[in-house]
Amino acid sequence: MATDFWVSSHYKRWIIDRATLRQARVDDLQYVEDPEFLDFFSIFFANVIAKLGKKLNLRQRVIASATVFFRRFYLKNSYCETDPFIVIAACCYVAAKTEESPIHIKNMVAEARLFFSQTPYCVKSFPSDNSKLAEMEFYLVDDLECDLTIFHPYRTLLSLVRKEDSSEFQAEAGELSLGIDDGIRYWGTGDGQLELPDGALQLAWSIVNDTYRSDLCLIYPPHLLAVTALYLTLVLHAPTRDMIQQHPQSALRQGQAQSLDQQISPRRSSRQASHSSGTGKKPAPDIVGFFADLNVSMPLVASVAQEIISLYTLWDRYKEDSPPENTSRTSVQSQAAQVGSPFSSATHVSHSGSHSGVGTPVTGIPDVANDVPKVGTTGVVTPMILMQVLTRMRENRLSDLSHPASGRPVAVNKMLERTQAAG
Amino acid sequence: MLEEWSHTLLQTDPMRLYRAKRDQARRTVTSKYIILGFISSGTYGRVYKAQCIEREGQIYAIKKFKPDKEGDVVTYTGISQSAIREIALNKEIAHENIVALKEVILEEKSIYMVFEFAEHDFLQVIHHHSQTLRIQIPSQFLKSLIYQLLNGLVYLHSMHILHRDLKPANILITAAGVVKIGDLGLARLIYRPLQPLFAGDKVVVTIWYRAPELLLGAKHYNKAVDCWAVGCVIAELASLRPIFKGEEAKLDSKKNVPFQRDQLLKIFEVLGTPDDADWPGVRDMPEYQNMKRLDPYQNRLSEWCQSRIRSQQGYELLRQLFAYDPDKRLTAKEALMHKWFQEDPRPTWNVFHYISANQLPPQRRITQDEAPSMMGVPAHTAQTQAQTQNQIVQAHAHAQAQHLSQQSQANLSQQSKPGSVTSFGSGSAGPGPGQGGYSGNQGTSSRKKARIG
Repeated sequence: MATDFWVSSHYKRWIIDRATLRQARVDDLQYVEDPEFLDFFSIFFANVIAKLGKKLNLRQRVIASATVFFRRFYLKNSYCETDPFIVIAACCYVAAKTEESPIHIKNMVAEARLFFSQTPYCVKSFPSDNSKLAEMEFYLVDDLECDLTIFHPYRTLLSLVRKEDSSEFQAEAGELSLGIDDGIRYWGTGDGQLELPDGALQLAWSIVNDTYRSDLCLIYPPHLLAVTALYLTLVLHAPTRDMIQQHPQSALRQGQAQSLDQQISPRRSSRQASHSSGTGKKPAPDIVGFFADLNVSMPLVASVAQEIISLYTLWDRYKEDSPPENTSRTSVQSQAAQVGSPFSSATHVSHSGSHSGVGTPVTGIPDVANDVPKVGTTGVVTPMILMQVLTRMRENRLSDLSHPASGRPVAVNKMLERTQAAG
Repeated sequence: MLEEWSHTLLQTDPMRLYRAKRDQARRTVTSKYIILGFISSGTYGRVYKAQCIEREGQIYAIKKFKPDKEGDVVTYTGISQSAIREIALNKEIAHENIVALKEVILEEKSIYMVFEFAEHDFLQVIHHHSQTLRIQIPSQFLKSLIYQLLNGLVYLHSMHILHRDLKPANILITAAGVVKIGDLGLARLIYRPLQPLFAGDKVVVTIWYRAPELLLGAKHYNKAVDCWAVGCVIAELASLRPIFKGEEAKLDSKKNVPFQRDQLLKIFEVLGTPDDADWPGVRDMPEYQNMKRLDPYQNRLSEWCQSRIRSQQGYELLRQLFAYDPDKRLTAKEALMHKWFQEDPRPTWNVFHYISANQLPPQRRITQDEAPSMMGVPAHTAQTQAQTQNQIVQAHAHAQAQHLSQQSQANLSQQSKPGSVTSFGSGSAGPGPGQGGYSGNQGTSSRKKARIG
């Protein structure tokens, strides 16, 4: 990664708007039974990439780059016309190279083939031939328009927060030898780094990981996601929150950070201390002040935070058969539950709702014939269901394209049909 | 029935739809460019001079990476790390003194990088002065070359990119006299690498331009390795021959990196043997014990510079770029600010500004491509290509060369003169006369043909 984000291909060509995202799914929408499945695909495939990455001992940054490649690829292509699994393998293969920690193609093929052949994926079509993966790499790099340098929020996060001596990102944090250098449009305060209680950086780091389960990494610049992850941490991480609330100055500044505050933090009492600003003794770090001084739009941060929370709400209805991996989703929920924020109560509602989902097969293989799964508003979605949805989409697309009668590709708009049926 | 059929297809060739769509949309190299001739080749592949069909005949250099082969069949084996680097880095950078990448075309299992075309390079300028003009490079010309080289290097370093292969052959000059750093095939980012630099590439920088810390086996190195190479380039421009022309000890069968005894001796002969005072870290270098066994030398750089640089400030610059301790070595930025560039004669933005027309280095010589399989050739040539697979008939090669020659001469008037003296040999291969002795296309063609076969 080059170091000036503002002149990067990432910033100039690959920060996209929602309209582009919608446009990219037009074909898929004609084949998917319920558009919400496509949002679940985002979670599902990001998880597949992360899991494959773990099998290959890929670093977090490599996994993140692979995920961004995957999302960029599907800006130009449809799920119904491609095999996401070979795409995933190619994304990991390229990302390992672009992050200067290459893996041999033989290992890549062997690991991917084995991993994808297992439940819940049961992909039997993954080629054993190296050249097939290499061929996919070739097409992938072409579709990525050779823009292979990706910026991630991790760097910003580590620049903002003083690293602590804890395990997971130690190796990656060891790379922190230079200061923040995002080019001329510097958005930091220049005041140095934030010091947070134990576990706070860990939580922020996990929230960043979670953002890759959605298209957020295509819509927002990475530093914004980092700041938002940190922002959510301040609200959700109990020791950090306590620290903020003890701080007289930060209480004053809290007004500036209001928008999210109103939505998430139930405690407004600290604002009453707002006239003690003159006594700048700084017993604890002024976290909220640090935040307010960052040259980023706080309303924007608040709205990104909302999107992350929506992601968690959606994700809550997604269940993997295997024990869930350690994401911050669970920890955010538990932490939020402790403080009894509105956010956590919403989580609880959907939790209980998920088990009363109507007509959705939760386990086992449903009879495919007439049983078209519907997500509904509270139904649980599993990898198994998503695999079936994907297969059906692809088969239907293929039949439509090769329909002999018309000689022309015919696509039935299922969305439209449903709407019409509903009257 | 249909569903069964589509189900089977999804199992056997799941990406068929995708590939068909992509292949249809793809624009080929030959539909956009006319290949004028072959410029040079290296381990990475080959470089061609080409004319864009659309943009008013703009000239470009197209670098074609060597396709992967299993036997005779070209196949996909994965894009090389070096190609990925060069593509990824070039897409992110833009600077007056760096060769600009126009586009990348991926076609038929091959990667083509389309770069702006540069008529000259430092190695060619050196040869032109040593072989043809038989004079030193004028101070102003030399200073302008170095100033622009440093200007480009400051940019690369500010982007946290190490070039790692700076040498005269990789530093180009356009016809308008602008220096362009080229070949980022070995370059990489050093901003928070996931692995130490050493883990990626065991050997970096062509031996004559390799910094002492690399020769002594340093696991960690930094931008200072590029600055050492700049020092070597200055010295080579000034004396028209490599300053430290050592013999490279080759990797052994286990790919262990050997001790580069001869190269270090060549450096010590001019700069003296380093001691703790020069370089406090020298004792910790992995090859320190080997180094201590070498005969001791005194520094005589000042003497070396007297007849060659003829400027106290020029000597100072060189001395500081040749600091043994990487931490004390001049950075690219400091070098750019050096007093040498502020004293007369001052550097010029057109390096050829004060060069009279008859002293200009010759245009880059292009030859006809003697390996037609390397480039997407017109259909009728492709047919003959199959015949030549096993039996390379001399006459046939001639016919083909002639055919290509006619084709490109029709397309381009500015063919280089036969016999013009240039060499595109890489620095590592030695700046010998290269292909300069061959005057005819057919001669070169048959010679190369034989070598390849």
